Amino acid sequence: MELLDKLKILADAAKYDVSCSSSGSTRKNKKGGLGNSHVSGICHSWSDDGRCISLLKILFTNYCIYDCAYCVNRASNDLPRAAFLPEEVMNLTINFYRRNYIEGLFLSSTIYKSPNYTMELLLETVRKLREEVNFNGYIHLKAIPGADKVLIERAGEYVDRMSVNIELPSTKGLQLLAPQKKREEIIKPMGIITSRITQNIVEKRKFKTAPRFVPAGQSTQLIVGATNDNDINILTLSEALYNQFNLKRVYYSAYVPVATHPNLPSISRPPLLREHRLYQADWLLRFYGFKAKELLSLSNPNFDEKLDPKCDWAIRNMDLFPVEINRAEYKMLLRVPGVGVKSAKRIIAARRFTPLDYDDLKKMGIVLKRARHFITCRGKYYGERRLNTDTIRNNIILNSNNNKKKGISDENQLSIFSLFPDILLPFEEKITKITGEL
Amino acid sequence: MKIYYTYDGSFDGLLTAIYEAYYRREKPEKILLEEDYQENLFLKRVHIHTDREKAKRVYDSIKSKISNESLKNIFYTYLSELEDLGTWVYQYLKLGWKIGKHIDLNLADDRVLVIHKIRLKIDREKHLMLGLIRFRRLQGNIYYAPIEPKFNIVGLVAPHFVDRLGEENWVIHDVKRGIGAVYNGEEWIIRDIDLEAELEYGNDEFIYQKLWQEYFKSIAIKNRINPKLQKRNMPMRYWRYLVEKNG
Ligand code: SF4
Repeated sequence: MELLDKLKILADAAKYDVSCSSSGSTRKNKKGGLGNSHVSGICHSWSDDGRCISLLKILFTNYCIYDCAYCVNRASNDLPRAAFLPEEVMNLTINFYRRNYIEGLFLSSTIYKSPNYTMELLLETVRKLREEVNFNGYIHLKAIPGADKVLIERAGEYVDRMSVNIELPSTKGLQLLAPQKKREEIIKPMGIITSRITQNIVEKRKFKTAPRFVPAGQSTQLIVGATNDNDINILTLSEALYNQFNLKRVYYSAYVPVATHPNLPSISRPPLLREHRLYQADWLLRFYGFKAKELLSLSNPNFDEKLDPKCDWAIRNMDLFPVEINRAEYKMLLRVPGVGVKSAKRIIAARRFTPLDYDDLKKMGIVLKRARHFITCRGKYYGERRLNTDTIRNNIILNSNNNKKKGISDENQLSIFSLFPDILLPFEEKITKITGEL
Repeated sequence: MKIYYTYDGSFDGLLTAIYEAYYRREKPEKILLEEDYQENLFLKRVHIHTDREKAKRVYDSIKSKISNESLKNIFYTYLSELEDLGTWVYQYLKLGWKIGKHIDLNLADDRVLVIHKIRLKIDREKHLMLGLIRFRRLQGNIYYAPIEPKFNIVGLVAPHFVDRLGEENWVIHDVKRGIGAVYNGEEWIIRDIDLEAELEYGNDEFIYQKLWQEYFKSIAIKNRINPKLQKRNMPMRYWRYLVEKNG
């Protein structure tokens, strides 16, 4: 088979978020560690569905011995199949990388012949890349559940990130939709990777030269909407994964209906809004100091589709607001709807010079549409007169709908610029020097 | 009578103008490019001649009395090529010399704000460009990338590729400005580029372009097609040199 045909099949197979073999981890936010793998969110393109393309994301093969109900690649599904050779993946990767098409490789696979057989092929591919062609870019490798510990550990020495996808948030879901997979088989490699990462940190402290093990950490993926798990189950699971397994990221992926099966929900479109709410909540766990149980409870187990989780929380806790922008602690500023990490830091910095009023905040680019209901500036309140949670809620929801229609853009603001093509020329070495240094 | 300074458009020229403003105690109303100045009976125009020594004094003084970050801010502002940049830089530095290294925390001040907004735009375009640059392999194993950024950022993106493609020879060509960053495997410089001959591509170049185009097509999820989102993230003004958008 031609390389081009293989690539079509195996890129196509990798794009469906629902499959143990892929992940939505196109949104990298950690440095890869190696000198020049700058994975702090460089997107190289955006595909026609609007998602960022950062890594060459492919399956090694899509031949699978398993038959999980929710997955396109399941053995019983009739679709074109292909398998790469390790050299082929290597050549694609370095040639794409040198042309600056990609940041690196995201390689996963279905389960081909056996878990060990598959893992060996993956290991051989990453070894070749690192040792034979000295590839220093980013590599994210999927660990195959059920593969031997040694294989997983060896692969970990070559790659920047490893992931094992949990896929279904509960054991019940797993039994229903992927009866051939066992929960322990998924959890085991996660445990191996976590303990090797921890051990590696200790080794590194003792010996600077100790080989690195998965320096960018471990991640996983959960499917949303293929089972009847609530948001609270999912979010509590993520919280545990962050706290107990030290995961770097949990990705959520709206279930894309790819099969009909008595145990699968019959939905026509992926629950994208729900996926979005979970990402927002995940963000609140990792950067805003929230706990899962603050955001959801057994009596309130799912996110409001109309309001983002932070707003929802704030409205339920209206007794804590409004806060005075010139005095509130950083932690509390972060909890104001519409105020992000950057804005909170800016407020803290600027108020050291001068007490801030409403217009100052506006000028500083702080989005006040939502925030104004929850703050005072030098004692003055700018939100709805009466602090009534219903009015605020409606106000926020209505406003966000209006906005979508208008589609505001500030693109034109700075379009006046002069054209003088040779401005750098007389001083080129100076500029070169300065740019190198700054 | 109000005084307007003009300078030759170089960074040194801008710094010299600021030096003179202080040295001559003139408080110019604006600092403009020669080309941007329009004759006006009620203005006094003073043209500043670029002087590297004086520029260096200002450069060092920003570093020691304000901060490296501020130096970076004004350099980025300079690269924006906006008409009022000289005046903004002057106002910003005046404040900087007054309050010192914490100037950039003072975000409620318009003089600081305007510089930060420009800096943000430049940073954004630079970051976008790091991803959107596409090299083509030419005969003789040179990697060549044409670009047309809004701002004059070719010098800002080059160091990233020195790290990344340190073993290769490459050129990043700002087609609109007629300049480029040229790297020979050891050092890079910015120079004039004037393409006269047709480029000759390496043997495998079109194979990899085709592979990338196919990959790009395959990766999109059909029932999530969203051209608006795609264009918001990747404005069409950058599509011209994208291999995947010209298949
Ligand atoms: S093991 Fe199951 S989920 Fe994974 S690729 Fe095979 S069928 Fe799909």
